[in-house]
Amino acid sequence: MKKIKVKIDRLNFYYQEKWVLRNISTELEERAITTIVGPSGIGKTTFLMVINRLHESIPNCRVEGKVEIKLGDKYTDIRNLSLTTLRRKAGMVFQNPNPLPMSIFKNVAFPLRLSGVKDKKYIKKKVEKVLRDAFLWDETKDRLGDSALELSGGQQQRLCIARAMTMAPDVLLLDEPTSSLDMEAALKIEELMLKLKERCTLIVVSHYADLITRISDHVLTLEDGRF
Amino acid sequence: MNRAAEYGITFFVWISGIALLCTVGALLCFLLYKGAPSLNISLIFGETRPLDALLLRKEVFDGLFPAVVGTLLLVITSIVWAVPVGVAAGIYLAEYANTGHKAYLNLLLDILAGIPSIVVGLFGFSFSIFLHRHLSDRIYPCFLISSVALGCLVLPYIIRTTEQSLSSSPFFIKTTGLVLGITKLQNIVHILIPYNVSGIISGVILAIGRCAEDTAVIMLTGVVAMAGVPSSLLSQYEALPFYIFYISSEFSSQEELMTGYGASIILLTLCVFLFTLSYILRRRVATRFAIYT
Repeated sequence: MKKIKVKIDRLNFYYQEKWVLRNISTELEERAITTIVGPSGIGKTTFLMVINRLHESIPNCRVEGKVEIKLGDKYTDIRNLSLTTLRRKAGMVFQNPNPLPMSIFKNVAFPLRLSGVKDKKYIKKKVEKVLRDAFLWDETKDRLGDSALELSGGQQQRLCIARAMTMAPDVLLLDEPTSSLDMEAALKIEELMLKLKERCTLIVVSHYADLITRISDHVLTLEDGRF
Repeated sequence: MNRAAEYGITFFVWISGIALLCTVGALLCFLLYKGAPSLNISLIFGETRPLDALLLRKEVFDGLFPAVVGTLLLVITSIVWAVPVGVAAGIYLAEYANTGHKAYLNLLLDILAGIPSIVVGLFGFSFSIFLHRHLSDRIYPCFLISSVALGCLVLPYIIRTTEQSLSSSPFFIKTTGLVLGITKLQNIVHILIPYNVSGIISGVILAIGRCAEDTAVIMLTGVVAMAGVPSSLLSQYEALPFYIFYISSEFSSQEELMTGYGASIILLTLCVFLFTLSYILRRRVATRFAIYT
């Protein structure tokens, strides 16, 4: 029997007067890639934002229903988690790579440092590990002090994924991670996603025609606010 | 739109642009023409040797040096009060206030921005009397009261620009840190403020100009015609805009009036210097955050 990581029960999302997500109930498999497809503006990104409660940064929206995430052996209602805990457990990467204007090393170490980790050796080791995992180590090991903004688009996106992985999240939310990249860079990201799913649950938003559906374990089509 | 109207409007737009150039040009030329003859080193330092004056070894009695120092210190001190409070209020409005609080505070902010500076001066004056009676009889209208009153006067500029630049940052910047599991405050300090620092400095530039030129506030709160370089926060002081006002309303000779023009040029130069400083600062910061702009 397949294991479930995220349970969604009768989820409704309203933005101002608009009913965006309509009574969605679904279960998302653990350590699998679930891709959500559908035309733009239909609420795919909104769906991701409900999972890490990022919608709380948007004024005038309202959520009904329950989202539960499996932490350890039991399911926890995400409303009972602190925002920082939830977002460390469910990392997110946006469509446009958004490295911070600082060095490659500092970008990856950023979440660790701000979460209070002081041990420099540990940070160094962790940075190397996630960069290796993101297939970025060989390209950047000699220039970790260079600005992250000098990397190519594809490298920046892999850096952002690496940065999201430093807090060892259980769930990774990816919002059209390849749509701003060329084919070659996109294929690298896909390869990376296949590797990440060994220890992480990936929930991806994508266009219909996107290649990502090819590597997905499940594809959900969002239409009229429901799957 | 018919052709005549199009030509007409284009013509008007051009003329307005040229009028702007001419006004500024004419004003500067007039100032230079009137003030240049009186501009010399003794206008600032009088009979005192410049080095002695700069090192505060000797007081300058017959020059503008104390007024230049007074204005410069006044601008810096007022900005020092206003920036932390203004930026913090801007952050509150942009990041923490709910819609109801926002509407309420914005109304108050509009009122504060609309208060004439003479009223702010009057408030400062009354405040100093209050302090004199209830806190210490050593307190009179003084440098400290002036700088605090000026700080209040420019607060709305800083609050507005901070709020506007923070709330207009793109969503993916606003949430960069949040999705990494850092706290809201960390996100503001480490991401939002650095990203918007150039916008915030724009507000400070506006505020500097206002502090340097305002006469009404300081007139009621501690500026005098003769005081020397301010020796403490509680002393009275001289300032360039007040000198210009004083000379032009009470001059006894044509020559004295001319020093008013000289003082105007010095005030203008001082402002240009402060603006340039802020622009350089802003550019340096902006290039560091080039990706976002």
